[in-house]
Amino acid sequence: MIFLRRQLPLLITLVTGLLFAAQYYVPHPASEQMLTSATKWLQIVGGFALILGVTSLFHQHAVKIRRQEAGWGYSLVLYVGMLGTIAVGLWTNGKESVEGTMTAFGWIYNYMMVPLQGTMFAILAFFIASAAYRSFRAKSREAAVLLVAAVIVMMGRVPLGEYLIPLSGDVSSWILNVLNSSVRRAILIGVSLGAVALSFKIIFGVERSYLGGGKE
Amino acid sequence: MTLSERMLKIDRRIIFLMIGLCTLLPLLYPVGLPIKISSEVRGVYDHIESMPEGSVFLLSIDFDPASKPELYPQAIALLRHAFKKNLRVITMTLWVSGTGMADQLVTQVAKETGKENGTDYTFLGWSPGGQAVIINMGQDLYSAYPSDYRGKSTKELPILEGVRSLKDVGYMVSLGAGRPGVEEWYVFGKDKYKFEMGGGCTGVMAPGLYPLLRSGQINGLIGGLRGAAEYENLIGQKGKAVAGMDAQSATHLAIIALVIMCNLFYFSLRQQRDG
Amino acid sequence: MDAIVLGAWVATGLTLLIFSFLYKDNPLFKLAEHLYVGVSVGYVIVKTYDTVIVHLVVKPIVENGEIALLIPVAIGMLMLTRYVPKAAWMSRYAFAFIVGMGAGLAIPRTVSSFILKQVEDTIRPLLSMAGSDGVTFSMNLLNPASHLNAIIILIGVSSVLFYFFFSIEHSGVGKAVARTGILFLMISFGAGFGYTVMARMSLLIGRLTDLIEFSDASYGRPTVWLSLLTVGALFLLARRGREQPPDIH
Repeated sequence: MIFLRRQLPLLITLVTGLLFAAQYYVPHPASEQMLTSATKWLQIVGGFALILGVTSLFHQHAVKIRRQEAGWGYSLVLYVGMLGTIAVGLWTNGKESVEGTMTAFGWIYNYMMVPLQGTMFAILAFFIASAAYRSFRAKSREAAVLLVAAVIVMMGRVPLGEYLIPLSGDVSSWILNVLNSSVRRAILIGVSLGAVALSFKIIFGVERSYLGGGKE
Repeated sequence: MTLSERMLKIDRRIIFLMIGLCTLLPLLYPVGLPIKISSEVRGVYDHIESMPEGSVFLLSIDFDPASKPELYPQAIALLRHAFKKNLRVITMTLWVSGTGMADQLVTQVAKETGKENGTDYTFLGWSPGGQAVIINMGQDLYSAYPSDYRGKSTKELPILEGVRSLKDVGYMVSLGAGRPGVEEWYVFGKDKYKFEMGGGCTGVMAPGLYPLLRSGQINGLIGGLRGAAEYENLIGQKGKAVAGMDAQSATHLAIIALVIMCNLFYFSLRQQRDG
Repeated sequence: MDAIVLGAWVATGLTLLIFSFLYKDNPLFKLAEHLYVGVSVGYVIVKTYDTVIVHLVVKPIVENGEIALLIPVAIGMLMLTRYVPKAAWMSRYAFAFIVGMGAGLAIPRTVSSFILKQVEDTIRPLLSMAGSDGVTFSMNLLNPASHLNAIIILIGVSSVLFYFFFSIEHSGVGKAVARTGILFLMISFGAGFGYTVMARMSLLIGRLTDLIEFSDASYGRPTVWLSLLTVGALFLLARRGREQPPDIH
């Protein structure tokens, strides 16, 4: 049983990992066909993974409603919103528009989801301003350099800034293209090395957290 | 409590009000300052401009409503340019929450330019799996997308005649707000299937994509609302991005003023304490 | 009232409910927040069902007899066993397949795209032999591809990598290199902050543009009326909050 529950999953990871890493270097038609089929499978499995991710909310809010815990009314709103959207979506075959005409599902998307999600992120504008005022202080030399670079880029990337200080556009462009590029490049190389190392650890069974906890 | 202390502990809602007004007033009373074109944005524009009529242009609309104000105007401007050049336009999205928006913007620009779905352009819709979709499209486009958004078989679409995979794409632009986005399109797409590629992204992501731009892995980059405004200027059709630039200027100056004030009060307080 | 006008009222109302958070956390915001999560989850479920089940699985099987597609469906179903505690271990097969394949696909492509290509562009010739003048060295800072900038990029990449990756004590020359790396990092973080401000402000501009559009008479001025209503509701909530002091127990 331990083989089925623990070793077989690790074996599947090892085989698929090595197979698809090697596939990159083998452009034989059979190898290419395998890649085509497997990525198609991955697309379909990806859909199930998405469902698994979003439905974890179901249980949590259902319990809240059943026990009438504090704020259960909000959970009810969540359920009504979700079930209503699903009902309308299935009724319109999951299409937001048909031949350019908006469906009821499209209406929910355009007039509910878009403004809700958009505004949720738009309020961050206020908080970044407040945070800048409260904590963007030149307490050290390094902090002062960061602050000056931020101010130059903020000036150089808007028309009024370029109008007031014409040089700010060119300086911010140089900062982004040269100084920023070099740092981001170093980070990219470092992160990629880390990602490759992690991938090898996964393939060879050193990293196993993706299998989840639970009984052996 | 000294003035500096009081000012540093000011109610954050006063700052909120200031930012709100700095955004709202320029939107109501625009000035229209000139916008300089950067070489990053020109890279994308020049490439599309150089493409012969009938070339295949793939636009991946990889964002959701959270990034709509930045990337929607970029998508509109790019589509207007591509349709004006009579390119064969393939559109799609890797972000499920962006599907409705992508459909809406493609339909809107096609209608305004008199283009026909299936003949001049197609919207393939969304497909799950991110990197798997990109690789599968590189292997066999009809396998990744057996049907378009409307449910019509992709094999029967006139626009996809001769387009079997990403290898047949002339130019590709990913408008990404995160993952999957520009980086994934390079790693899992261009690296193997060798199509020419440009990128568009949110302001938050832009600095991180400069290494790809410098190494020539992408030949242009449209960054945030400013990038969209530059592209609108390049195609000569001003839209929401250009309209938002005055507000962008005002809010940037407001933040700079806040930072300067905060530092003045901070140093004055420090001086008082040290003294 | 047609669907677009009704939509304008609903969109404006929901936008203002979220904005009400700027005053303080309140029930109106919580209501909109939960509605947002519910609608988003519902939307994702519908799109996934339509795309995956209908278009990627059922149609190809029914129309073209692609029976092999039942294999990923089975793998997907295994994943859903996470909901059944006794059978949850079977989901490991699905995760093993996804993660193993993801890791395998990523290794060569990441090495090629982000390590080799980036290193290649960093180590560029510092002088050019092209042109009639023989050896040239371009000093133009505004041209990112100039030789001077190539040297700056080389210094930046090396010093930042040194700062992050070499665990030797940062003293002597090492200290100077690490400090150069910190300087480069600070400038890049500053640029990143500048761009983040730009992005966040753009999002606000987008929402306010919509609110301005919906203040038009053709929609019945929902922005004006609903703003008044939201402010009134916040006022009432604040007054009720003052009248009913929170339970200290």
